[in-house]
Amino acid sequence: MPPHLPTRRDLLRTAALGTAGTAFSGWLGDLALRAVESPQRKRACILLWMAGGPSQTDTFDMKPGHANGGPFREIATPVPGLRFSEHLPRLAAQAGRLAVVRSMQTREGDHGRATAHLRTGYTPQGSIRFPSLGAVVAHELANPHADLPGFVSVTPQGAFAQPSVAAGFLGPRHAPLVVNVSEGGLKVEDLGAAVSADRACERLELLREMEAPFLHSRPGQGTATHVTAYDRAVRLQRQAAARAFDLGQEPDSLREKYGRSLFGQGCLLARRLVERGVPFVEVTLGGWDTHDNNFEQVKDLCAVVDPAWSALLDDLGQRGLLDSTLVVWMGEFGRTPGINPRNGRDHYPAAWSTVLGGGGIRGGSVVGRTSKSGLAVEDRPVKAADLIATICLALGLDPKKQNLSNVDRPIRLADPDAEPLREVLR
Amino acid sequence: MMARAASLMLLAGVLLTLAGAHAAPPRPTDLATRIDRRLEARFKGDAIHPAPRAEDAEFLRRASLDLIGRIPRTADVHEFLADSSADKRARLIDELLEEPRFAVHFANLWRADLLPETSSSGQAALFQTGFQSWLIERFRANVPYDQMVRELLTAPVGGGREGEPVLRDPERPNPLAFFAVKEASPEKLAATVGRSFLGIRLECAQCHDHPFAKWTQEQFWSQSAFFAGFGKRGGLFAPLTEVADRRELRMLGNGKHIQPGFLDGGKPKLTPGQSSRVALAEWVTAPSNPYFARAAVNKLWAHFFGVGLVNPVDDFRDDNKPSDPALLDDLAAAFVASGFDLSLLIRGICRSEAYQRTSARTHPSQDGTRLPARMTVKALTGEQFFDSLALATGYRDTQDKGAARRQFLTRFAQIGPPAEPETSVPQALTLLNGRFVAWATDPQRCPTLIAVTQTPGLTRAGRIEALYLATLGRRPTPVERERLDRHVARADAGGEAERLADVFWALLNCAEFRLNH
Repeated sequence: MPPHLPTRRDLLRTAALGTAGTAFSGWLGDLALRAVESPQRKRACILLWMAGGPSQTDTFDMKPGHANGGPFREIATPVPGLRFSEHLPRLAAQAGRLAVVRSMQTREGDHGRATAHLRTGYTPQGSIRFPSLGAVVAHELANPHADLPGFVSVTPQGAFAQPSVAAGFLGPRHAPLVVNVSEGGLKVEDLGAAVSADRACERLELLREMEAPFLHSRPGQGTATHVTAYDRAVRLQRQAAARAFDLGQEPDSLREKYGRSLFGQGCLLARRLVERGVPFVEVTLGGWDTHDNNFEQVKDLCAVVDPAWSALLDDLGQRGLLDSTLVVWMGEFGRTPGINPRNGRDHYPAAWSTVLGGGGIRGGSVVGRTSKSGLAVEDRPVKAADLIATICLALGLDPKKQNLSNVDRPIRLADPDAEPLREVLR
Repeated sequence: MMARAASLMLLAGVLLTLAGAHAAPPRPTDLATRIDRRLEARFKGDAIHPAPRAEDAEFLRRASLDLIGRIPRTADVHEFLADSSADKRARLIDELLEEPRFAVHFANLWRADLLPETSSSGQAALFQTGFQSWLIERFRANVPYDQMVRELLTAPVGGGREGEPVLRDPERPNPLAFFAVKEASPEKLAATVGRSFLGIRLECAQCHDHPFAKWTQEQFWSQSAFFAGFGKRGGLFAPLTEVADRRELRMLGNGKHIQPGFLDGGKPKLTPGQSSRVALAEWVTAPSNPYFARAAVNKLWAHFFGVGLVNPVDDFRDDNKPSDPALLDDLAAAFVASGFDLSLLIRGICRSEAYQRTSARTHPSQDGTRLPARMTVKALTGEQFFDSLALATGYRDTQDKGAARRQFLTRFAQIGPPAEPETSVPQALTLLNGRFVAWATDPQRCPTLIAVTQTPGLTRAGRIEALYLATLGRRPTPVERERLDRHVARADAGGEAERLADVFWALLNCAEFRLNH
């Protein structure tokens, strides 16, 4: 038998589907405690992805007194000189944990291309399938034997961020496990068996027995990855692993603190997963493509983002996980400082903001500066690759490390021209 | 530069000689014999024990997947297994090539190769239908390959100064989608022509001299300059324009003005008022071009055997030698002599014993070669997998307006090389628990299960066999039959349909169904 093939006993054991939980008790043990105690704890990243392109002028790079500034007021943060929008009050209180990059300067103004650009750090090119950051981090940091996947994507949106292409040349095994809205809550797609536990178990046994001769006679990657993927899928259905996705395990008070929005609950889920060793979780909040009626929409979006993000930082901090968990806030581009006749703001890649916080980041810092009008970067322009390289370093990864791409050309984690923002790293 | 040109000329000379030796177009059987003789000699020399001929059912499933992009129907399996004539495999190949699905499947493959953007970008995907229809028409008419490539590369741009809005009618068969999706960028077009039609990777030479191969940055830009006349302002959907007499391109970095030039160092004769693309197309598809026929032959070889004679298929260069140079030359010469007839090449390859071997490993030496000592277990494209699932279950696009198909095409898209199939955890979960498979294993709703469980007069063994034929295209072995009979027999009164559904579930989930072997 090929080495990966579990025996019938294993199968019965692993196909627990909630019936044989005791066989694996201990794996979740005193998770948080263990995580914090280990000095070698691997780092993790939570990406708060603002699909559509969030307005920097109404959040982190305000222009009060200028015609472009819009109606929102600034509020102070504990960091001298650093001011946020009045609609991010809880986050403002935690500015000491954040590094705000105000000088993003990219060239892609189309949602599709810009999304690919910011999520991979590379300019989209025909033949090379660049992996997204999540797949890169999963490839570097995930434990291949873990029950939980290395990359989880919560409520991904739109054709521009298709989970199935996110792994790029790193291959399907690094594609994200998708958590989506189902029956009003967040659920892993297709995690629960459609039939009773006993019957599911019997079916699996049947499958393994039936396909054994074929697997045995055709050794190679095709059969090996088939067995591995089914094995991992079955392990993921184990009570303990499946419970990682169950927000019902969290106290109501904490769930309230994150906000009852899908995004808020997604952030809480991200913390649960990171706590259990998942190295990369992205949580998407859409709606930032505010060509019309920008201010009302941004205000509403901030009401979702502010409690969720601030509760996440707090929660990670209280569990001792903030030092090892990088939290990144970004979209595919910013929005025009000028306000259009429909009271909206349009796509603007020339000068915009992203925010880093937590693991590996020197909090309370600001990178770069835009002009009074917000139209131009005046200091320290930051490219997408610079940001990706900074994220790599904050996660303890070497951005110059190479992986072989689908065109057999080695590709570095971050574009070799990247200049990481060393000033925000600890 | 001179030395390079000289070595290319030499290569061309060899090819011409080869073409001359078989000036009359070879017959498919001759081609198959030549493949087998050559491989036999190689295997003998390298002490490799090739695998025996595949059983009929294994061969039928493979040939169907490779030629028409889906598994055979149950009726086809019955008919093929019952046929006792000696030439039934050759006849099958001819019949499959006549099926409308052949053109559809090959158009899928070529579209994915020429426009990979359409599978990764939602916007580029809008161009897919028109381009695919154009390819289907070409494959259906068995248009000679050189002509097809010339038609593509020289497709006229209409619309005058306003330019041609390529997406005006997305359904219209339209080769211009090729240029539109590449955003009319001379660099992208040059790189694609190199990769897809010549089997060489020029793109590294865009910014610096190629690190591994002989291509210089200037050569890359002079190939790009053939597309210098293109214009496109305003993104992917903007109209396409071309100024025929605009010939010059400025090189990235040093800004040097570059004129069109062939990769062998030759200079094109350009006709005033005519697009430079015409000269490029002539040069690319010329019988004397040492790369064009070899690249095409190699691509087809890789399609059928999973691994190219040159592998990766688009990486011909001095230090990536073919696994059998003589065989590649021989096939290329035959392809040229046939007037670039793809169907001849396909018939020749598929009739060879090499293509008809089992994929089961019967001797350890079979793993130590890039030549086909046993059939490679190949990945299925998203289309191949879903169309097979649809056939096995009796699914119709109309029942959900194609939603299941769309989901499977993205979730099961083939990413890596065909010889390295990969199944992911989300894919496994989709097949273990997903909505489609839940429908497919519902004895009240799935047409296949309804037929298998409700047809009167069938024995239990007959019902199990019907499920095997519908999915794996073969009858169960005695051991399988006995094991499954036990499973189904354990049913409570009236529960037999559910137990048969379990069997069907296992068949849809097994590696044998998920792979092309």
